Amino acid sequence: MANLYQSLELIRPEIVLSIALIVLVIFDLIFHVDKKIIPYVALVGLIATGIFTLLNPQSGFAFQQTNLMGKIGIFAVDSFGNYFKILIIISSILIVLYSFSSEEINKIQERIGEYYALIFGMILGMFFIVSATDLILVYLSLELMSLSSYVLAGFTKLRDRNSEASLKYLIYGAVSSGLMLYGISLIYGLTGSTNFYIVNMILQIPNANQFTLAFANVLIFAGIGYKISSVPFHFWTPDVYEGAPITITTYLSVASKAAGFALLIRFIKTTFVSFSDSFGNWQVISSFDWKTLLIIISILTMTLGNFTALWQNNLKRLLAFSSIAHAGYLLLGVVVFSNGGVLAILIYFFVYLLMNYGAFLIVMLISNKSGSENIDDYDGLGYTSPLLAVSFVIFLVSLAGLPPTAGFIGKLYIFIALVDAKMITVAIIALLNTVVSLYYYVRIVKHMYLNKPTENTLTVKPNLGNTILTLVLVIPVLVFGIYFQPLVDWAKNSLNILGLM
Amino acid sequence: MFQVTLQHFLVLSAILFSLGVYGIVTRKNAVMVLMGIELILNSANINFVAFAKYGNFGFSGQIYALFVIVLAAAEAAIALAIVLNIYKTFTNVNIDEIDNLKE
Amino acid sequence: MLTEFGKIFIFIILAIIFVIITLFINKLIRPNRPTVEKQKVYECGENPEGSPWVKFNIRFYVVALIFLIFDVEVVLLFPWALVYKDFGVFGFVAGIIFLLVLGLGMAYEWRKGDLEWARPTPKPPKLDELLKKES
Repeated sequence: MANLYQSLELIRPEIVLSIALIVLVIFDLIFHVDKKIIPYVALVGLIATGIFTLLNPQSGFAFQQTNLMGKIGIFAVDSFGNYFKILIIISSILIVLYSFSSEEINKIQERIGEYYALIFGMILGMFFIVSATDLILVYLSLELMSLSSYVLAGFTKLRDRNSEASLKYLIYGAVSSGLMLYGISLIYGLTGSTNFYIVNMILQIPNANQFTLAFANVLIFAGIGYKISSVPFHFWTPDVYEGAPITITTYLSVASKAAGFALLIRFIKTTFVSFSDSFGNWQVISSFDWKTLLIIISILTMTLGNFTALWQNNLKRLLAFSSIAHAGYLLLGVVVFSNGGVLAILIYFFVYLLMNYGAFLIVMLISNKSGSENIDDYDGLGYTSPLLAVSFVIFLVSLAGLPPTAGFIGKLYIFIALVDAKMITVAIIALLNTVVSLYYYVRIVKHMYLNKPTENTLTVKPNLGNTILTLVLVIPVLVFGIYFQPLVDWAKNSLNILGLM
Repeated sequence: MFQVTLQHFLVLSAILFSLGVYGIVTRKNAVMVLMGIELILNSANINFVAFAKYGNFGFSGQIYALFVIVLAAAEAAIALAIVLNIYKTFTNVNIDEIDNLKE
Repeated sequence: MLTEFGKIFIFIILAIIFVIITLFINKLIRPNRPTVEKQKVYECGENPEGSPWVKFNIRFYVVALIFLIFDVEVVLLFPWALVYKDFGVFGFVAGIIFLLVLGLGMAYEWRKGDLEWARPTPKPPKLDELLKKES
């Protein structure tokens, strides 16, 4: 009994989130007509959750059972999970701030209560994903997050493309999570448990049917690969990113991808690694060759993302392909199978949050004015709206990974991890991909600066709040490009994944 | 004497799974695709219950099946609502005809 | 000796035989005097109107969805009902919280008006419109 109360202490952030979700729905019901208060309720809930996450004890298992191998639980609280939870909280707060000034969201004020309640549902799902150490809990939280985001993708219902995005997201998501569930059921049959640690212990003795295990692993990867939009589960990404309201696009591109990566790393680290040596290199259980699979997938992902982005004229679509390419780079941090790789992913993700949110903020401000995201809207923008254009250039340079921006630091650590693992060929392919990506980022810069302004050129003057928001995102991108030690230290302190060793 | 063994359940669930995948790949109607997804979920359910029974894994498999049933219902409700919304906008629910979003 | 499915098989055969025999006896002893009225499709005593394959009102569908969700959520109470005593007050409170959240969902449906059955408002014909049509 004491065990259960102890578990509740460990999941305090999740409890606060659930209470905030319920309060949001109740407020939505009480203030039926005037819903101005609801975004502020959401902000307060998010900040409270953030505080509880920061105050959370650093490690421990919630919902422990005493098994044949000691005490293990289905929910691990550790610094790795807390890092991702803080990332998710930061991105959620930014999304609430974006929603204040997004024209699309302002048009649906009467349904704003559901909008925030669904976002909180997504956050709750993501919080459980990054900490789950049981496949069934993984599946349940993945579905909680997906079901909320299916609705959000088509939430505004202003144009045809909203409902189309919603349908496509739904079909791909439901199929891949169904495949994942079948894989989970096979793992359950092979090992008699769905807990990562017990599965790990049983797989150490390689007497499970190799083919079934490989099949189950591929099916489970289908569910995760869909969340991180890696090839061949990426088909939904461009359509959903283009069709969804831009705040949701931004959120899907960072937060749900972060949750997917946290799950992938934890799943591989705790289920398929027998021990990690003193240099932080992981010894993978020989029963399934994750390394080759992930190397092939990551190379395909970034190559496809970068090359398809070359001929996109819609900015949201272009950034969608760019985010697929970034998923490829991030997967490289997983394939090195070492703590150095995880460190690179943690750093990259924080930087990716800043620069992707920045780029989408600019796209949102401009599409508020023009009503579309076509690249021609940006002609001559450098002359009429200098602040936005300069910030956009900085974000794009950072996305391409050039110094002196933070994006360079993220890529640098990935390449260091690759070279440490002696995967030079892969590193060279990634480098070539970066060069290709430069082309389409520079193309936007060209539209903004080399095309002279005409009478059709937009003049976008952001209000005070949006100016501050832009600066809040631009300054760290520049500062972390030069003085990145605090970020690296924070990430180094967050490498602790609860494991058996 | 005929005995129902684990293999029978596994073959049944494999057939259901394959039918589900076949339905998803070949059908154009969104509702049919959703039915294929339900087949996949239920094949996993059969697996869970059969493994729990024949492997003596306790009741965990049956509890998982209950969770999956509830989730499948929630997913079906949301999916049908979205398909209804699609029908209102496009006046059909054929997946390959809904392709406004393409480069 | 019977396997577990053998019993079910015998049960199914018995059920089929029972139905066939009763129908057959019926046919033997009943008087057979068909009229036009008797051979019509029975629809609660009314004359059948139109095809039965009409489109249902969308509101049936919404109610069905709401019913489906609440119906299936209750499944989760079964495992809880089996074990909650082992957890004392904690188990009881957990179940109560679950039910309260379900109740919140119900309140949401109610407040948003999804449970209300919109009656068609009759439009009495107006004289001037009728006159316009005439002319």
